[in-house]
Amino acid sequence: MTDVTLKKMLYTLCVVKGISGDETKASEMALSFLKNYCSNAHISHGNVMGTMGNSNENAPHVLLDAHIDQVGLIVTSITDDGFVTVGNIGGLDRRIFPDQHVKLHGTKTIDGIISTLPPHLSNGEEQVQRIEQVRIDTGYSADELKKILHIGDSVTFCGVYAEMMGGKITAPALDDRCGVASILYALDLLQDEEIPCKVTALFSTQEEVGERGARIGCFSANPDIALAVDVSFAGDGSDGTGIMGKGAMIGFSPSLSRKISRDLVKCADENNIPYQYEVMNGTTGTNADQFSTCREGVRACTVSIPLDYMHTPVEVIDIEDVKNTGLLLANYLRGCREC
Amino acid sequence: MLNYLKELCAINGTSGDETAVRNYLQEKIQNFPHILEMRTDALGNLLVHKKGKHFPKHTVLIGAHMDEVGLIVTGFRPDGRIVLDTVGGIDPDVVIGRAVQVPNVGIGVVGSVPVHNLSPKQRDEKPTKKDLVLDIGARSKEDAQKLVHYGDSVYYYSEWTELGGNKVASKAIDDRFGCACMLKMLEGEIPFDTWFAFFVQEEIGLRGSKPASFAVNPDFAIILETTTAADLDGVKGDGAVCRLGGGAVVSFMDRATIYDKELFRMAFEEAEKLNIPCQTKTRIAGGNDAGSVHVSRDGVRTMAISIPCRYLHSPFTVAQISDMEQSYLLAEKMLFKIHEL
Repeated sequence: MTDVTLKKMLYTLCVVKGISGDETKASEMALSFLKNYCSNAHISHGNVMGTMGNSNENAPHVLLDAHIDQVGLIVTSITDDGFVTVGNIGGLDRRIFPDQHVKLHGTKTIDGIISTLPPHLSNGEEQVQRIEQVRIDTGYSADELKKILHIGDSVTFCGVYAEMMGGKITAPALDDRCGVASILYALDLLQDEEIPCKVTALFSTQEEVGERGARIGCFSANPDIALAVDVSFAGDGSDGTGIMGKGAMIGFSPSLSRKISRDLVKCADENNIPYQYEVMNGTTGTNADQFSTCREGVRACTVSIPLDYMHTPVEVIDIEDVKNTGLLLANYLRGCREC
Repeated sequence: MLNYLKELCAINGTSGDETAVRNYLQEKIQNFPHILEMRTDALGNLLVHKKGKHFPKHTVLIGAHMDEVGLIVTGFRPDGRIVLDTVGGIDPDVVIGRAVQVPNVGIGVVGSVPVHNLSPKQRDEKPTKKDLVLDIGARSKEDAQKLVHYGDSVYYYSEWTELGGNKVASKAIDDRFGCACMLKMLEGEIPFDTWFAFFVQEEIGLRGSKPASFAVNPDFAIILETTTAADLDGVKGDGAVCRLGGGAVVSFMDRATIYDKELFRMAFEEAEKLNIPCQTKTRIAGGNDAGSVHVSRDGVRTMAISIPCRYLHSPFTVAQISDMEQSYLLAEKMLFKIHEL
């Protein structure tokens, strides 16, 4: 896969909307890509799943997961004055809400602006608005709006997909569409090869509200090994953060399989693939937490792409990290003969 | 007029950096009929004298400002991030967590510390100017300085967005609306010779209008502007100040000006004759170039006609098209009526 193809795929994945519980459009887009590598790819309970590789019963079975959902808002009411009240889907930073441009997905998609109070009404209050105080302005009156929008409809933040200096990319929903892209990149590398293991690709729903799609997806796939490919905090690397451009962050944690963590490091070393460590002290806040305790227990690990400004409409990643993550996954699968 | 406004809002021009806006205006105006004079002064104000059907009884100035609020590069961090300050009255919470336009670069982002890493207390604290840090993807100061320089302007990223109820949202409606309105007057016939002044530097203290009004030396002035409407959810009565859909806003007083009483009354009478709505502000708030124009030289009889806007000085200011059209009609009428005084 060329850089241009990868970026085009990432762009396509990021512009489709899919907040937790309403992932259909994003899932269908991911499915269309996965079908290129997994002839049996399908959507099950919202999760996108497909298998490839060694079909021998005794071959180790590796689950590669990235979540397909993104954070957003959900309509909770329409006020008498025609403004929209919302609840949050996933962890959002309310400090950045004022005057954000959003799309409201009703019977048709309409534009909205998150209302802000002018100084004379905010009374110099320095507190950020609570979620129940947040109002979206669509311009419509209550009666007009009720014909278009209904309680429970999804609201997404507008971001812009743009290439920045030095291979960095900003887009909404890079968490975790860049993980989806890295798995697809890995499968692309392997498509004409015979590999020793069986692979299930899972693009799971509802990670942002509690890793729910991963729980049922892993049960359904029943793997020996499960890798959660997600994003993690970018920084200078000194405080558990990852340096952008230095490759995937391989997770080490009491809740993860130390063997898999080490195997991933070994694989990266042997193949000269850049990587960095991400050491955590308990659960990981990723789908790996569900995988490890699935059924009779699964050997789980995290492989994370460093990302800046998580859960804002302007998340930033380095495209090299997506490629190197894909490369690490592909090489790990090439060498995965036992579990 | 709406087309002019749309094009003008897409142009970037913060205070002290209005060249692109002025170039657009000059390009349009040079093809308009009966332009007696068009000149740019030392600060960058664009002054246009247009011939009317009749010789004027009074010297009348119509003015609007070209500049918009924005951001300015004040420093560089070792990690390649760029430090910004505000130009004009900007609340930092409408800048963080979104894309911005960086001339010479394209798109940059003003990010924020991920919510996951904020304490419960920090999550409820409004961002401050210290949070205005720009990321263009550079990995070092040297990297960043290849494309960005001290003093460069940085702009909101917002696309012209049509909302429900005849409303639109965009950056820079303040005060490209006034500029668009004046372009529409300039392209057609006007009753009397009139000066049209496109001001610089309104947002940092009504500055461009000082030399411009000195130069024109008018008897009367009409300022075309935008003003804060707080007709938000649940806001009743005077707290709304003015309302979208309520027509042109004609103020009797704001923080910079006590307006000419006769012109104030006349505006409401003429609006009624035109059968268009007209409203005044129910709070003494805000201020505009009238503040410097009305005390220019030995004094100028001044009025302001504004459109009500929600979320002024933000990437997405919301305004209603009917208010724009009605404000234009009222301004056009006042231009005529002033000569009866």
